[in-house]
Amino acid sequence: MKLAPLNTVGNAHDDSVWTAAWVPATDESPPLLLTGSLDETVRLWNPDGPQKLQTNTGHCLGVVSVAAHPSGRIAASASIDSFIRVFDVSTNNTIATLEAPPSEVWQLQFNPQGTTLAAAGGGSASVKLWDTAQWQLTATLSVPRLEGLKPSEKTGSKKFVLSVAWSPDGRQIACGSMDGTISIFDVTRAKFLHHLEGHNMPVRSLVYSSAPLDARVLFSASDDGHIHVYDTEGKTLISSLSGHSGWVLSVDVSPDGMAIATGSSDRTVRLWDLKMRAATQILTGHTDQVWSVAFGPSLKTDVRSCLLASVSDDKSLSIYKYS
Amino acid sequence: MACIYIPVQNSEEVVQVALDQLPLDATDIINILKAEQAPLDLWLTIAREYFKQGKLEQFRQILEEGSSPEVDEYFADVRYERIAILNALGAYYSYLGKIETKQGEKEEHFLTASHYYNKASKIDTREPSTWIGKGQLLLAKGDIDQALNAFKIVLDEDGDNVPALLGQACIYFSRGQYSDSLELHKRALQVYPQCPAALDPENVEALVALGISDLQTNEANGIRSGMEKMQRAFEIYPYCAMSLNYLANHFFFTGQHFLVEQLTETALSATSHGPTKSHSFYNLARSYHSKGGYEKAGRYYLASIQEVNKPQEFVLPYYGLGQVQMKMGDLRSASSNFEKVLEVQPENCETLKVLGHIYVQLEQKERAKQLLKKATKVNPQDPKAFLDLGELLISTDECAALDAFETAHNLLKMGNEEVPIELLNNIGVLHFERGEFELAREMFMEALGDGVWSNFIDSKTQSSFKIVAQSNLFNRAQYPTGISSSLRQHTELRLFHQLEEQGISVELPWDKVSSLFNLARVLEKMHDSEAASILYHLILFKYPDYTDACLRLASIARAQNNIQLSLKLIGDALKVDEKCPDALLMLGDLKLKSDYWVRAKDIFLRAKEATDWQDSYATVCLGNWNFEAANHNEEKDSKLEATHYQKAKGLYTKVLLQQPDNLYAANGAGMVFAEKGHFDVAMELFTQVQEAVSGSSNVQMPDIWINLAHVHFAQGNFALAVKMYQNCLQKFYYNTESELLLYIARTHYEAEQWKDCKKSLLRAIHLSPSNYTFRFNVGVAMQKFSSSTLQKTKRSVDEEQWKRSMSATKRKNKLHTEDESGQGEKKRRKGDKRKKGKKICYESEEAEAAVGAQEEMKHVDATCKYQMNGIEDQVKNNPQDFLAATGLEDSDAEDNAAAPSSSAKGRRLALSESDEEEPMNVGGAVEDEK
Repeated sequence: MKLAPLNTVGNAHDDSVWTAAWVPATDESPPLLLTGSLDETVRLWNPDGPQKLQTNTGHCLGVVSVAAHPSGRIAASASIDSFIRVFDVSTNNTIATLEAPPSEVWQLQFNPQGTTLAAAGGGSASVKLWDTAQWQLTATLSVPRLEGLKPSEKTGSKKFVLSVAWSPDGRQIACGSMDGTISIFDVTRAKFLHHLEGHNMPVRSLVYSSAPLDARVLFSASDDGHIHVYDTEGKTLISSLSGHSGWVLSVDVSPDGMAIATGSSDRTVRLWDLKMRAATQILTGHTDQVWSVAFGPSLKTDVRSCLLASVSDDKSLSIYKYS
Repeated sequence: MACIYIPVQNSEEVVQVALDQLPLDATDIINILKAEQAPLDLWLTIAREYFKQGKLEQFRQILEEGSSPEVDEYFADVRYERIAILNALGAYYSYLGKIETKQGEKEEHFLTASHYYNKASKIDTREPSTWIGKGQLLLAKGDIDQALNAFKIVLDEDGDNVPALLGQACIYFSRGQYSDSLELHKRALQVYPQCPAALDPENVEALVALGISDLQTNEANGIRSGMEKMQRAFEIYPYCAMSLNYLANHFFFTGQHFLVEQLTETALSATSHGPTKSHSFYNLARSYHSKGGYEKAGRYYLASIQEVNKPQEFVLPYYGLGQVQMKMGDLRSASSNFEKVLEVQPENCETLKVLGHIYVQLEQKERAKQLLKKATKVNPQDPKAFLDLGELLISTDECAALDAFETAHNLLKMGNEEVPIELLNNIGVLHFERGEFELAREMFMEALGDGVWSNFIDSKTQSSFKIVAQSNLFNRAQYPTGISSSLRQHTELRLFHQLEEQGISVELPWDKVSSLFNLARVLEKMHDSEAASILYHLILFKYPDYTDACLRLASIARAQNNIQLSLKLIGDALKVDEKCPDALLMLGDLKLKSDYWVRAKDIFLRAKEATDWQDSYATVCLGNWNFEAANHNEEKDSKLEATHYQKAKGLYTKVLLQQPDNLYAANGAGMVFAEKGHFDVAMELFTQVQEAVSGSSNVQMPDIWINLAHVHFAQGNFALAVKMYQNCLQKFYYNTESELLLYIARTHYEAEQWKDCKKSLLRAIHLSPSNYTFRFNVGVAMQKFSSSTLQKTKRSVDEEQWKRSMSATKRKNKLHTEDESGQGEKKRRKGDKRKKGKKICYESEEAEAAVGAQEEMKHVDATCKYQMNGIEDQVKNNPQDFLAATGLEDSDAEDNAAAPSSSAKGRRLALSESDEEEPMNVGGAVEDEK
């Protein structure tokens, strides 16, 4: 397995790029890439080129998360001002504006079925679920306190929920907090299942494995510099990958489930071979924190290959070919 | 049959004398010679014949008669023959003197000999053979310099005079100038190719001399034939001390010590010649030395030295004595003896090394360095010399030490010799200190060789150790269970037990523990803390008392913010050694981090006691503690504050007195000065520390940059301050330290760069979204921005409060117990442990803020209230935060700290700072408190 750098857009945004997500292909358009930045805009890119298709404004303060609906037609973006903007990808028409109390929105994720948008609820210590038909808040999955903690221990604000991920079947949600705990929820019953322990520093990114047999495997990226591999059913830590010298800010799994890519504040993008449990490639193209890495859908020309995008505080966007 | 014919006077007849039938009584012959007035050469011939037949008395009689006054008178003009006779007599008496052992008679013989030679000289002062004879005589008397003169007179006259050449060669030989001696021998041979010594196979001296010459060739053949000659000499004349010595020498090397002693004792009784005796004593001493009888050996070496007096003449016993003294622990005497060896042989590599060693032990590092450097120059192929040099340099000049070690390593490798683990370990450590982690890793791996650890380091083979997992539902092959995670789950060391149960031997030889520990340190530095912690666990599995491994694990846990685990591990270490200062210091640091102030102080005090009050780190920690206590002084008791500052300053000063180059204490002292408003002094201190730090590759001290920036900020150099904060942020924190972003924002705010201020705060929020202080501040900045756009220049209370909340944040200091706690071990030498002080943020701006507050207090308006309420809303979710915020045990955590609590506290502090006469402010603060 290998990552081959294809293109880099130097000043993809006017300021730090903080988030990126692939928009699946539709009948009219190939897969596209969405990026969000401190410059308060969301931009849409055709990876060929790469060519900037659109610049969406409308957010105040920096854009912390973008997410695309599986249909490829709708996308959502969230910013520090706690507004979620849902918009039509091709026209940029606003479909809905979802408001939350200050600091109660962080990462966004549509479920694989496209029926629900999950938003990491920040200071509310919960995950908010919005239905995508009416754009109504349907559920709040609250993270319970860890047992055994005395109320006097000031963990409250540390429960700030940063990251969220759906299991491939859409039945489970995992969310990560500032204090390092990962909470697993049963979505259908809207019920908290258990915590996954191992991190003690903010968990900024989570992703479930995409390989068919491994749907219960969860990858987590944390400020402690480690990537953990969990069995969400067995509640066990399968392995822990170290190597980044800074915070691990983002993790994504390849479509074939054989590899994960990570982005870190140490300015590198790493490709990890899961069988070898080691980083097989370290890309040093960025000059500042790499806030997001995202695998795109398989290429039409070569089904065993796909694109990987990375965005960074250095304002740039890079595209690689994974094969 | 050889005959001589004595011509009968006044006739043609002759008297025939058969040389082998010379009469026993020489009187007949003398009578004939006298009667016939035979030419003097016949006298000589007959005398020589007697001599050859061993009839010395007859020989003497004839010659004495031949030199009697009547004969002299008769043959007055036959000069040469007369001289020859006198010389022959001189030589005879010289010989007698030489072989005579009784001192009195010996001198008498010599006197007679010189009498004859003088007589000969009177006949002709320039006759070379007389001079040669004199030379021989002087030589026999041991008067070497005069002997040399005598030979020189002859050679000046005739450069090819063989006996003179040989005589001089002999002198050079006895002085040890073998090459000169050999040169003269060669010249003699060129002139007179029939080697004269060979003329008489029974000549003991000749045999000995030739033997020595052979031995000096230092070739196996030469040595053998030399020894054969010595043996023959011994058989002919068993009391020749010289040959006895050489034979003893030979048997010393063959290990027959009994023979050595016998031979040398005989030699000692057979001679009174100083140098020879010295040699004999030396042989005896050496024999005892090699058998381990150091005391006896020392005595004999001393006796040997006393015989020669001058080390130039025979240096070996000095060396031997030095060795023995070193063995007996008398380093000073040993060093003076070795120094004497060096005076004679300044390039002797062994002596240079030994002496270097001694000086290291005597703490005379400079002299030691000088000697060892010379040793490496003299013999650049000797790995041992480089090894010694490297070990000496390791504490002073790491670069040079590394060079020396690597040379030693290469030499050993080239020579296919076994490279000692310590050497590899030391090279690794030096690479480590220079930040060359990959090289260091390779070295440690080479030092370790193969073992059970190999399986943990190389991720490719690691998967072969699959632990039977609890669940098999998912595609296990895809995710081989990491050893580290199973360690984590079992926390204990069950993994290794399991491996043993599986029949895999888990061995860790003691001499490899240090290297393994160091390898783990490197892996940590290379950010592979997983592999590192497995190795630490392995060490603990085999050696549970190895507290350093335990503390490193605690440090790893701490770096991952796993405070509980870290505490447990430190506890484990303290169970092994309850006074372990490193463990105590880490514990104190952790307690401070968790805001257990009083306990932290107790622990620092304990650590200080445990190190007999010598540990500067503990002292700096206490200084920092006092500094923080002054800043966290809730009651705003200015007396208490001053006391704490005073104490802090005292502690820093104390450390600086002991170690003027302690960066952390200097930094601390700078902090106190800055707090008191002495910015110039503070700046001077910080700048010096910064210069020192940037010159060192392995000290990382971001705090100094921050403090410098703070001073710039306080002095109004905003641009410079921002630049410094940013450099620090980028250089040390990968731009992830939100607190620094807050400082930057604060500076931009002061400089009225609103956009930059806002951007910095937004970045801070993005890094620490749960810290609400940042959000509050963004609000203030934006408001200020808009009001400035509208050209409203008045400052709002809000703004003041923000300032205060900022200063509250700034007050938060961090104490890092850096990872260094384990490093002392690495080298197996006590290096100065690197002490990590802490960052000090002093709030220079506090005073201004208070002044501002007094001026602008009236401008409390609705907008500002709203802002505050907004914050309060969020605060209400976690009411307990306020309780926590009130005590001394205040939030000190820099990133994930409860933001409301800190801003609330900020206000509280601000309140107590500003005058009591400001009721509005008080009210606002109380409101917050609820």
